[in-house]
Amino acid sequence: MDFKPTYTPEQEAFRKEVRSWLEAHVPNVEGDRDSDENYAKYRQLGRDLGARGWLRPTVSKDYGGGGLNFEQSVILYEEMDQYGLGLPPYYDSGGWLGGASILVWGTEEQKQRFLPPIFKGEVVTWQLLTAPEAGSDLAGTKTDAIRDGDDYVINGTKIYVGGSHKPDMLWTFTRTDPTGPRHKNTSWFMIPTDTPGVTIVPMDLLGDGGEGIGASVKNTVYFEDARVSAKNLVGGVNNGWQVATTHLELEHGGGGSIGRNKWFERAVQWSKTEKRNGRPLIEDAEARDRLADIFVLTEVSRLFGLRNYWMNRTHQKMSYEGSQSSYYRKLTGLDITTNLQELFGPASLINGGGFDFSEGTLDAYHRSAITALHPGGTADVQKVLMARRMGLGRDEAEAAGKTVE
Amino acid sequence: MDLSLSETQLMLRKTVEDFIARDANRDKLIELQQTPRGYSDEIWRAASELGWVGMMIPEQYGGGGSDFSTTAVVYEALGKGPVPGPMFSSGILAGQVILQAGSEEQKKQFLPSIASGDIVATLAMTEPDYQWGPAGVRLRPTESGDQYVLNGTKLFVYDGHVADWLIVAIRTGDGADDISLLMVDTKAAGVSARKLDGFTTSESEITFSNVKVPKANLLGKVNGVKAALDRALLYATPILCAYKVGGGQGVFEMAVQYSRDRVQFGRPIGRFQFVQNHIVQLVNHLDAARWTLNEALWKLDTGQDARVGVHLAKTLASEGYRKACDYSHEVHAGTGIMRSYGLTLYTRQSRSLYAALGDPRYHRKQIANLIETIE
Repeated sequence: MDFKPTYTPEQEAFRKEVRSWLEAHVPNVEGDRDSDENYAKYRQLGRDLGARGWLRPTVSKDYGGGGLNFEQSVILYEEMDQYGLGLPPYYDSGGWLGGASILVWGTEEQKQRFLPPIFKGEVVTWQLLTAPEAGSDLAGTKTDAIRDGDDYVINGTKIYVGGSHKPDMLWTFTRTDPTGPRHKNTSWFMIPTDTPGVTIVPMDLLGDGGEGIGASVKNTVYFEDARVSAKNLVGGVNNGWQVATTHLELEHGGGGSIGRNKWFERAVQWSKTEKRNGRPLIEDAEARDRLADIFVLTEVSRLFGLRNYWMNRTHQKMSYEGSQSSYYRKLTGLDITTNLQELFGPASLINGGGFDFSEGTLDAYHRSAITALHPGGTADVQKVLMARRMGLGRDEAEAAGKTVE
Repeated sequence: MDLSLSETQLMLRKTVEDFIARDANRDKLIELQQTPRGYSDEIWRAASELGWVGMMIPEQYGGGGSDFSTTAVVYEALGKGPVPGPMFSSGILAGQVILQAGSEEQKKQFLPSIASGDIVATLAMTEPDYQWGPAGVRLRPTESGDQYVLNGTKLFVYDGHVADWLIVAIRTGDGADDISLLMVDTKAAGVSARKLDGFTTSESEITFSNVKVPKANLLGKVNGVKAALDRALLYATPILCAYKVGGGQGVFEMAVQYSRDRVQFGRPIGRFQFVQNHIVQLVNHLDAARWTLNEALWKLDTGQDARVGVHLAKTLASEGYRKACDYSHEVHAGTGIMRSYGLTLYTRQSRSLYAALGDPRYHRKQIANLIETIE
């Protein structure tokens, strides 16, 4: 068992190449990473990465990916992580999930048309699944797409969508046969955002769901007689539930992640500068116990992510691991914020105004740990999925959704 | 990066599983738990002859010289049995303490016969007012020429009642780490051992009454064994964790099967979400223990600083095995508490081994002490 890739001299040379390229291209930003100005810089980085095939390193070059191997993807991931930027694209979860779904379920024509712009970083895509009437019960969506000539006409509302900067494409789950049987009446569309009848309105929420660039806002998207070409229906008419298994497998954590233990590192750093009774917190035995507790929680999340990354990229047969990682992260996120509040006290809630040693980072985390309970399926949904994958009360365990990356 | 087991490791695991199916299956283990010794000659002979007892002892001392990961594969499979016996206490723990603290002569004297299973040795460290670690060692010998004289008690000594040799931690100075290790022959006059009954596995009480031990039986130097003992514990602890992870896997598989077989209200109970929740929590505890352990084993095998990793793994293995059993009992309800069913074989271990080599609170504290070393 080997927890780190063994790199060949060629791969070490690749790391050097990546490192010096990133040094030259990752923008220097000050203040809010999500301001219009800074976002534009990060988008440009995405295009530059995409042009080299580094935005989607393991995807085939035929569709605009990098055609790189597993070890090279890990190198890119690790080097990007040094800048607090994730791969798959740090600003484009819709392109990540939609792209993966199109790779599995799209026609060759659709792959050629949709994938290169996504994988080269030319477009940004949001995913639209949750509706006011259909959250955990995704199949109950009432966003209807009704065939009319060569087009479909879409009406309905999606919520908790996207981020703070308008996308190019909307990867959207719809109902194409309103009276048809459940799980056999839905379809997915790639919808250009500038389609007439599409309106985006920011939501007023407790906080965002994470630290991704462009993630500081969620939106409601209204479709009013929005007309979309039938050529943009992906994965077959009324086959949307099958397509969703790919999308959801990845969104539930099946893709995994590799990265450092960010929250523990931050907590240790702040413990060196924050004081209690005139002494740095890190010298206080109780405070160190809380740091150890944070370490225990965060290490498990890190290792679940690492395991899933390896399983996914090396095509191991997966079962409940994706949802387990998601569930664990959601639940321990709340425990971690409790520990952070015990560690740093009331100042951990303050944002601005002079007592804010974390510059709003902790306030945002206290909020996002709560907000993060629902995206990609609630904690309860993850448990239901785990139960199916383990085959509890069933003769056969449910298979994991198909992904090809 | 490759998180899978090697071909050799998979074959070794199969060997253990085949042995369990034949000579240590659940029916046999249920019978054995009622016997005074708790394990059978078949088990001890197989574990010795197939090399599981001595697998972590270097080849030059008659062992198998296996790495940490491979040893863990075997002990996980044994834990899944759960196969009882002093394999860990003697071959792994005592073996490591002698290897780390002993002189060349002592290694040659003890390690080959430990590896072959001809003798059983175990570490006797804790005492009636239980505290893990050197600070809890208070048994202070008197000196008489070239002999130590022991009077007192070691308590919660795993497998002490079947041991031929005890590695007794004694207090030889007033500093916290001023302890020494003494090899004591259990046949020496004045040594008595008694198995402790209760919700225990192999805990025993060792009483010393004017026991005379040559000073030549010291492992290493007086007051100079702390570092060696730390190393031995660092190397042995993850193997105990592997045994516990195996036990967790055992109760997990039992719970999944029972969720399919047991029908109430006209449906398999695994269809009820409260029941599902028990098994979800169970597998989360199990996997947390498994993957922190795997990473710690890899660090040990690659010569990295594994101290924090081992404390983390032990924290989660102790907590995880205990919780895994709790949740499996919630799933099994009344069936689970029938001795004839087998679940309690594991539950007993999850309690008995909870504090072995330090409880989770102790290991969390060690992580807290080592925060600056975490990269």
